[in-house]
Amino acid sequence: MRIGIPVLDELLKEIPRGKTLTYYIDPEVEGDVFGMQTLYKNLEEGYRCVYVTSTMSPVSLRNRFKEFGWFVDDFETFSIVDAYSAYIGASSNERYVVSDPTNLDEIDRVIKKAIEENDLIVFGSLSTILDICGDRALEYFERWKELAVDSVIVSNFTAWPYPKEILDKIKDLSNAVVTIGGIHHRVILGHYYGILKVDWTEVRGRAVLFKVAKPGGVKAYIPKILVTGPYNAGKSTFVHAISNKAVSVDRLGTTVALDHGKVEYKGFTIDVFGTPGQERFDPILKVLGSEALGVILVVDSTKPETLPRAKQLLEKTTQFGLPYVIAANKQDLPNALKPEEIRNLMHLPKDVPIIPTVATKKIGVYDVLDALINLLIGEGYGKSEGAT
Amino acid sequence: MRLSILDIDVDSNNVMVIGPPLVGKSILVRNILYEKVNNGFGGIYITTKDTAETVLDWFQKFNLNGDIKIIDCVSRTIFSDAPDTDNVKRVSIMDLTGISVRINMFLERFWKSGKRDVVIAFDSVSTVLMYLNPQTIFRFLHVLTNRIKSFGAFAFYTVDENMHDDRTIAMLKQLFNGVIELKEEENRRILRYLSPSTRTEWKEFNIVDDRLEVSS
Repeated sequence: MRIGIPVLDELLKEIPRGKTLTYYIDPEVEGDVFGMQTLYKNLEEGYRCVYVTSTMSPVSLRNRFKEFGWFVDDFETFSIVDAYSAYIGASSNERYVVSDPTNLDEIDRVIKKAIEENDLIVFGSLSTILDICGDRALEYFERWKELAVDSVIVSNFTAWPYPKEILDKIKDLSNAVVTIGGIHHRVILGHYYGILKVDWTEVRGRAVLFKVAKPGGVKAYIPKILVTGPYNAGKSTFVHAISNKAVSVDRLGTTVALDHGKVEYKGFTIDVFGTPGQERFDPILKVLGSEALGVILVVDSTKPETLPRAKQLLEKTTQFGLPYVIAANKQDLPNALKPEEIRNLMHLPKDVPIIPTVATKKIGVYDVLDALINLLIGEGYGKSEGAT
Repeated sequence: MRLSILDIDVDSNNVMVIGPPLVGKSILVRNILYEKVNNGFGGIYITTKDTAETVLDWFQKFNLNGDIKIIDCVSRTIFSDAPDTDNVKRVSIMDLTGISVRINMFLERFWKSGKRDVVIAFDSVSTVLMYLNPQTIFRFLHVLTNRIKSFGAFAFYTVDENMHDDRTIAMLKQLFNGVIELKEEENRRILRYLSPSTRTEWKEFNIVDDRLEVSS
C-alpha cells in the first residue's frame, strides 16, 4: 500500500500488508494530516480504507479532508469508524459506530469488524483512545495488529508527555515509526519528519522539512539559512567552507549578488544563502530573512570598527524572530578579538553562541552550523536520529 | 505585567484564576484581555463555554481596538458547521492536539509579525475536565504552559473551584506559578493574587455591565 508522503514514498517504497506504521507526532505540530494523506492516496489506488475518528464528528472529519482538497465521499471504498458521536451524546449514521467510546470491548468489536472488511485502517488519534480508555488500550492495539495480517494499520499518535514505558511500547508495537517534530524556538518555526524505525526495508537517516498546504497536504521543502555580515568579513569563504556545492555571483573579488551553497548535514539538505555586505543590498535581506530558518552572522574579529554594521545587519535579518549564531572569523590573524570581547562590544545576550572560526581553513565552521541546528531543533532532532 | 484593572503586577506567565461558579472568573479574564489588547498586546481567547461569536460580541460591545484571535472549542462539539476564519479557528473540545496546534499557529503569527507581547485566556479548564480525565489534561497543560513561558506570553486559565476534587486542584496548581483567587463573602466579592514572590491583600470588586471594577 502507498504511504503518500513525499520522500517517505521513495525511502519506504510501500507498506506491506500485515504491517503497522505510526506517525509519532509532537503535540504542537499539525500531524493528523499525515494519516489522512496516507488514507486518501490509498483510496485513489482503489483500496478499501476506513478512518477511526475519536476527536471530531464525522461531519467535521469530512470537512477536514475537504480542506486539503480530498473528497473522500467520492469513493465508495471509504468509511468511518465513529468513536466520537456517542461520547458527546449524538447519534451516528456511519457504517461503523462505537456505541460507547469509553468501553474498550465495544471499541474492539467494531475495530475487528473494520479490519476484516478493509485494506487500510487509519487511527485518527490513537493517543485519544489511550486517554479515554487508559493504558489497557495498548493491549487491544496489539491484538488489532495481530489480526491485521492481510491489511495495514496506520496511526496518528500524539506524543504527549506520557510515561516512557507507554511511549516505548507504542514504538515497539509499530513496524515503522515516522516522527513528526517541530523546530522549537520561542515559537515553532518549522516542522520536520524523519524515519525513526522501519523493519521491512533499510533506509538511511533523513529528516525532511515540510509545510502543510491547503489544498494539497504535506509538502516537503528545503530549509534556508542566511549567512550575513559586514563587507569583507569572510561570508563567501564561510558559505564555500560549509557547502558541498557552492556558487558565488561576484565581481572584482567581492560578492555583488549572492552566494548560494547546498549543505548535506545531519540528514538535512540545507540551502545556504550568503548576502552581500554592502548597504545598497540591504533590501535583499528582508526578502531572504522572511524565508530563512536561521541566521549566521560572520564578523571580522580583527576589525572592531565593523561591529556596529554587523549589529545593524543582525537586526535587519532577525526582525522575523529568527535564531542566530555569530562566527567570530579570522581568528588566525594577529589582534583578533576573542568571542567574549565581541559579545561585549556588540552587547549580545549571554546565550547567543559566538564561535571562533577560520573560514579559509574550515576551522570552526561546522561548530557554527551545529550551534545553529541545536538552536533550531534541539533535542527534537534526537528523536529521528535512530534511523538506520 | 501590569494589570491596571486589578491594580496588581503579575509576575507569572501562567496564572490560574480560581473561584466558585458565577463569581466572575470569565468576566475577569475578558477584562484583562480587553485592557491588554487595547494597549497593543496580541490576544488569544480559548473558549470552551461560549462560541466564538458570543466572545467576539462581548469584545465588540466595548469597542475593542486590537488584535484578538479566538479558538472556539464549542461550535464543533455541538455539531455546528460554522467555518474557520483568519482570526477564528474551531476545534472539538476532545481534540487537544488541535487546540495545541492552533494556539501555536496564532503565537507564530504574532511572533513573525513582530508582536512579542501576547496575553491568553483559557476559559475554562473545568469544561475540558468534564470531557477528559485529569491526567490527560495535565499532560496537555504541561505542554501548553511550557510554550507560554518559552514565548514570554501571559496566560490566565479559569478553574471552577467546586467542580473538582482536591487532588485534581492540587495537580493543576503544579502547572501554574501564579493564582488569582476569587471568592464571595458576606455578599462581597473579593480577589487576590498569589505567586512565589507576591501576595496581595484581598481586594473587593464589583461587576457592573460586564465590566469589572476593583474598589480602592
